[in-house]
Amino acid sequence: MQVMLNDKLLQVSANSTVSQLLQQQQLKTEGLAVAINNIVITKRQWNEQQLQNNDSVCLFHIVTGG
Amino acid sequence: MLRIADKTFNSRLLLGSGKFSSPMLMQQTIAAGGCELVTLALKRLQLDKLHDDLLSPLREMNIQLLPNTSGAKTAKEAIFAAELAREALQTNWLKLEIHPDPRYLMPDPIETLIAAEQLVKLGFVVLPYCSADPVLCKRLEQVGCAAVMPLGAAIGSNQGLQTRAMLEIIIEQSTVPVIIDAGIGAPSHAAAAMELGAAAVLVNTAIASSHDPVVMAGAFANAVSAGRAAYLAGLATPLQHAVASSPFTDFLAGL
Repeated sequence: MQVMLNDKLLQVSANSTVSQLLQQQQLKTEGLAVAINNIVITKRQWNEQQLQNNDSVCLFHIVTGG
Repeated sequence: MLRIADKTFNSRLLLGSGKFSSPMLMQQTIAAGGCELVTLALKRLQLDKLHDDLLSPLREMNIQLLPNTSGAKTAKEAIFAAELAREALQTNWLKLEIHPDPRYLMPDPIETLIAAEQLVKLGFVVLPYCSADPVLCKRLEQVGCAAVMPLGAAIGSNQGLQTRAMLEIIIEQSTVPVIIDAGIGAPSHAAAAMELGAAAVLVNTAIASSHDPVVMAGAFANAVSAGRAAYLAGLATPLQHAVASSPFTDFLAGL
């Protein structure tokens, strides 16, 4: 199945979780936040939350700012 | 001690983390200023870009990280940003800022009040950046904000306390800490804000954009301490006429 990760189309295996997606992309999880279809997924949910075909996954991270 | 919600701080100088040339310089500046509350922002991740490790050096320091909702133009966007920030930093502390106009970056008072009320209900410790409007500040306090952060002047403008008369009213009326945010361009502005009775100031551009942010942070810390001490000591009242500080004696009368 496929998901949109920010603006990138990705092929992922069925039943992949958020955690597995982040590992696959080799992303550091410190300072990272995830929303699927504009709903924030808490860090506690990352291990269980499964991706669905055509999900829009948005990743945000902490940057400097006043 | 500065008390905000359930936490106390020795420092009354809050630092914005933007515009520093490196995370290391920012870390040294935080240390030089003795800052214990540091703001951060949130951004969509660019997958193909390498990112500086910003958080590790900050986590080593004993400071409260304060994510902001910069970029949000509406209450709805700010609430979404707040929920993301809470996950990203694992803190429910939040600097709420909603400024839809890119030229002056003036905070939208209506959206800010709507968002503040909802965010407090969602369990956030809300510190709203807002106009120097005494009525709005009171309303923000009434919906449960942990502090109010009225502006001295436009963000990054270095113009000082343009809103001074309104800040005086806000400070007089407030039962939550009043943190003067935005526009503070020089240590003398920070001292003036503290002399008025502000609980704290938040500074970013004036420190980060100076030639030597580390030294400037020290200068601001001194100014904040001096202004606070002056406020506690009670400033003498300005008068229109002279009042001699030396006694009028008649020892010259016989000459």
